[in-house]
Amino acid sequence: MQNGDGSNSLSRRQLLQMIGSTAGSAAMYQAMSSLGFAAESPYRGPIDLQGAPKGASVLVLGAGMAGMTAAYELRGAGYKVQVLEYNARPGGRNWSLRGGDRYTEMGGLSQQCEFDKDLYINPGPWRIPYHHHGMMHYTKRLGIALEPFFQVNYNAYLHSSQAFGGKPQRFREVKADYQGHVAELLAKATRQNSLDASVTKEDQEILLESLREWGALDKNFAYAASEGVSDRRGYEKNPGGGLSARPIPSKPVGLREILQSGLWQGIPNGDAFDMQTALFQPAGGMGRIGEAFGRELGPLIRYNSKVIDIHQDAAGVTVTFTDTVSPGSKQSARADWCLCTIPLPVLAQIPMNVGQAMASAISAVPYAAAIKAGLQFKRRFWEEDEQIFGGITYTDLPIMNIGYPNTGFQSGGKGVLLGAYIWGLNAMQFTAMTPQERVQKVVEYGSQIHPQYHKEFENGVAVAWHRAPFTLGCFGTWTSDTRAKHYDDLCQIDGRVALAGEHASYLGGWQEGAVTSALDAIGRLHLRAVAQGAKA
Amino acid sequence: MRTLITVLLMAAAASALADSPLFTSRAAIGSLNGEQIYEHICQGCHMPGAQGAVGAGAYPKLVANKKFVSWEFVALTVLNGRSGMPPFGQPVNQAQSRTHLTDAQIADVVNYVRSHFENKYKTNVTAQQVAALRHPAAELMGPQ
Repeated sequence: MQNGDGSNSLSRRQLLQMIGSTAGSAAMYQAMSSLGFAAESPYRGPIDLQGAPKGASVLVLGAGMAGMTAAYELRGAGYKVQVLEYNARPGGRNWSLRGGDRYTEMGGLSQQCEFDKDLYINPGPWRIPYHHHGMMHYTKRLGIALEPFFQVNYNAYLHSSQAFGGKPQRFREVKADYQGHVAELLAKATRQNSLDASVTKEDQEILLESLREWGALDKNFAYAASEGVSDRRGYEKNPGGGLSARPIPSKPVGLREILQSGLWQGIPNGDAFDMQTALFQPAGGMGRIGEAFGRELGPLIRYNSKVIDIHQDAAGVTVTFTDTVSPGSKQSARADWCLCTIPLPVLAQIPMNVGQAMASAISAVPYAAAIKAGLQFKRRFWEEDEQIFGGITYTDLPIMNIGYPNTGFQSGGKGVLLGAYIWGLNAMQFTAMTPQERVQKVVEYGSQIHPQYHKEFENGVAVAWHRAPFTLGCFGTWTSDTRAKHYDDLCQIDGRVALAGEHASYLGGWQEGAVTSALDAIGRLHLRAVAQGAKA
Repeated sequence: MRTLITVLLMAAAASALADSPLFTSRAAIGSLNGEQIYEHICQGCHMPGAQGAVGAGAYPKLVANKKFVSWEFVALTVLNGRSGMPPFGQPVNQAQSRTHLTDAQIADVVNYVRSHFENKYKTNVTAQQVAALRHPAAELMGPQ
C-alpha cells in the first residue's frame, strides 16, 4: 500500500478509524437485525402515480400519518379522495397536548391540559431520525420547521435507586469510567499476551494505541485521575480564565462500582440505528405535522366519524359510519377502493368482508402498553440548577425516562418536562390508575431524581395508550412467528381493500412505518386501478 | 457480599412499593394475587368494576359475562392475548421473567374474575391446569 510519494497510504489514525467503524457497525448490525430494525427506511423519493383512471375514487379510513400521506398523494395523482376520521382532529398518534386542550380517555375520565402558552407534550411519537426519509420528505413539503432532538445528553443522568445511594450519575461520568476501565483491562490482557491467538502482534500495537485513545488511558495504559480523564468525565473544578483558572481533575469511580450499579446499561442508548444523531422534532410539537396535513387536505377529511362496517362488492367499497357528535343515524361513503389505516385492535371489531387470511392477520397483533406524562414546573430548574439542556435521563424507577425540552432554552419562564415515558408491565400498572393518580405517582418518583419537583410542580397530564379511544393501544407488536404467519397477509390487497399504518411495517411504532406502508399500499392499489381502466 | 446486600436492598424496596395501593414494582409482581392482578393490570382496559369501555372500538365488559362459562377460554385469553390484548403468559423456552404472570397467578386471576363481577362460576382452576394450555411462542419485540 504505497502512495506515489512512497509514504504509507493509510495513516495509523485512519487505520484505527477503519477498525473502529468496522467493529462498531458489525456489532451494531448484529444487534439491530435481531430486532428487525436494521433495514433502512425503504423510502426512495416522491411516489409516482401516473395514469390514474378518470373518475377513480379511494376512500381512506383514518387521518393519521398513513391515511393523510395516502390521501395527499392520491389526490395529487387525480383520484377522488375522501377520508373518514374518528377524532375531531387530524394526526392520530401524531399529536401534541397543549394548554387548553381537553382529552377524554376510555372509561370517560377527562384531563384538562393547563400548560402555559407555547408549552406542550407529545403523548405519542416525539423524535424523527434523519434516515426516516419519508417523514423528512413530508415535513419539508409541508413547511414544518425542525429543531434538533437530543437523544444523548452527556450531562443528563443515569439513575438507579439501588446504586450510589440513589444519587443520579451524569451520563458523561458513567460512560467515561466504564469505557476507561474496559480499555485498561483489555490493554492489560493484550500486554499479557492473552490475545495472541486472536490478534497478530502488529495489530496488538494498533489495538493498544486505540485503547489508549478510546479510554483516555495514561502512558502506562492505566485509567486514573488526570486532566486527560477529566477531559472526558468532567472536572472537579472546570478550567476557566484569570487567576481562578487552574482546573482540578475529578476522580473516576471504580470498575466494581460501575459494574454493580447496572448503569452501564444506559450507555448505548444513542447507538441504536433509530437513535443515532441527527434526530429532529417539529418546532411547536410533533402534532404540527398532523395539523399541517389536515389543513392541506381540508374538506377531504370528515371528522367525528366512527366506522362501524366495511363492505366490498365487485364494483367498490361501502363504509358505514356514525357521527360521534350526533350518534344514532348511520351514514355511508362509497368509493372504488379503500385504504384502511384503522389500528388493528379497533379494526378487528369492525365487520369487514375480507378473506380469512387478512382477517386472521388483523386479529394476530397485540398492541403495546405505553404511558407518557407531561409536567409543568414554575421554572426550568433542570437548566438553571443542573445545566441539563434537552436530552433524556434514564432510571430504574417505574417512570423509566425523564425527557427535557429540546427547545426554549434559558427562556426564563415555566417549563414542561416529559415526566415519564413508560412501557411494559410498568405501563400497564400506570394505565390501571386514574389520570390524577398517574400524575401524582410520576411526580413522586421523579422527585427522587429532581428534589425540586416538590416545590416547583404545577400541573400535569398523563396519557395511557391502552385507554386512547382512537387506537386501543400504542403500537402493534410482532414476533418472528407472527411475522412469518401473518405479515404478508396483512399487507396483501384483499379485493378492493388495502391496509396501511405502522402495524403494516417493519418500523413498528415509528411514523416512518406508517408513511412507507401507506406509499407501498397505494402504489399497489394504483396498479390495480390502472389495470381496471376508467369507469364505465 | 456486595451482591447479597444489593439483593436485600432490592427486596426491601420492593416490599415498600408493594405497600402502595397504586403501584407494585416489577420485582413484586410475582407476589400479586388474583384480585391485585385485576386491579393493577386488567382494569387498565376492562376498567374498575369490570365495566368495559367504548371508543372507536370497545373493551369487553366482564360483568355477568356468558363467555366465562368456559374457564379454558378465559385462561387462554389471559395467557395468549386476544386481538389487540397482549399475552400475559410466560413464553415457552424462555426463563421466568418478571414481565409475565406465572401459571399460578393466571389460575388465580381466572378464578377471581369468574367468581366476581356477577360471575358465579365455582370451578377452582389450578396452576397445573393452566400449565397444560397453550402458552405464547416467543417474546414480543418492538421499539422502546
